[in-house]
Amino acid sequence: MPLVRIPTPLRPHSGGLDKVEVAGSTVQELFDQLGAAYPALRERLFDGAELRRFVNVYVNDEDIRYLDDLATPVAPTDEVSIIPAVAGG
Amino acid sequence: MVPESLERYSRQMRFPPLGEAGQRKLVQSKVALCGCGALGTVLANHLARAGVGRLRIIDRDFIETHNLQRQILFDEDDVAQNLPKAEAAARKLRAINSEIEIEAVVTDIDHTNILELVGDADLILDGTDNFETRYLINDAAVKLGKPWIYGGVIGSEGQTMTIIPGKTPCLRCLIETAPPPGMTPTCETAGVLGPAVAVIASFEAVEAVKVLAGAWDALNVNLIMVDVWDWTFRQLKIAGLLGKVDCPCCKQRVFEWLEGGQGSHTTTLCGRNAVQVAVRREQALDFAELAGRIEGFAAVRHNAFMLRFAVEGHEFTVFPDGRAIIKGTNDIVKARTLYSQFIGS
Repeated sequence: MPLVRIPTPLRPHSGGLDKVEVAGSTVQELFDQLGAAYPALRERLFDGAELRRFVNVYVNDEDIRYLDDLATPVAPTDEVSIIPAVAGG
Repeated sequence: MVPESLERYSRQMRFPPLGEAGQRKLVQSKVALCGCGALGTVLANHLARAGVGRLRIIDRDFIETHNLQRQILFDEDDVAQNLPKAEAAARKLRAINSEIEIEAVVTDIDHTNILELVGDADLILDGTDNFETRYLINDAAVKLGKPWIYGGVIGSEGQTMTIIPGKTPCLRCLIETAPPPGMTPTCETAGVLGPAVAVIASFEAVEAVKVLAGAWDALNVNLIMVDVWDWTFRQLKIAGLLGKVDCPCCKQRVFEWLEGGQGSHTTTLCGRNAVQVAVRREQALDFAELAGRIEGFAAVRHNAFMLRFAVEGHEFTVFPDGRAIIKGTNDIVKARTLYSQFIGS
């Protein structure tokens, strides 16, 4: 199954897990599954049906915005990463 | 100003990709460093030693003891003397390299002064701790066509990207809007490790040397992510974002931050020893989440209307629209600093 990597700031909303195996063949399907299991996480990632504009999602190392956005296909061996903006310094 | 002898730089000139030609470009370069905290001190240290000819260090803040864990140019004596960070850094750097020009500017970077502060620089470096200033830097850099290098760190992890306007995605291509205040952790709420900052700032410094020496082919075209605690290093491919996303800044050339339409608005509350910081937000602050980040170091309480906590002699009253009243200061710059440290922006 594809693996979704959860960044540190969102782990309080994924039961502390840093990665979750989720069934699905597109980014949308993965996030639907993930959101059903962790509603608070969905709230952090989505505004209605749209990804929040400061949340970036990568399939392996590719940004889904230049692929097919949420319709981007995901293979069972792929890794999906949620990449937060990092403010400190 | 070219020193008579470049001998002091001999060890880096022997590195073939830089060479004497690259070194000559470095000593003739000018860099504007925005922010001189954890990232900024490491950056300034590297660039002054490497012989960047003119360095302008811009910072709004003063040194406190809890900075010394990671802000490598400062010491206890600087804290005792109540020195501004820019000035203390300049003094240290002049002792390290007397052959370069170092200018300390103690000011809050905002839309009224940024073009003047960075306008004559060959390169702008990000040593800030908040997105408000970074979006302002991004607007200024894209408008002026100047390269800049983003770096950000929290906990044990950090990110950096090199932005060459027109050739690479800009910060707003990557992150179209800043996370709302209170939505992301800050170094004050989530902590930060000095070595994590040093790693990211060192990557930024290498990129700076490449830009200034004209080694364009060697530049980083990815979003670099490092976690020094769990040993991860990733290069996310972002080059494809250029032109693909309808970027308000580098594609539409609308400079919302530079025009003052975005960012915080700060007011001193007369006679109350307090400052109000108002930030434009699209959605209500999540008090439970913000409280969760603060309760580790300060007592915090909240209801539907406000969240309140006190830290380091300042009482914060935060409202759902992102506005905050910070008691214990009349100083607008101090209040903006505290806001970005504890609420985030």
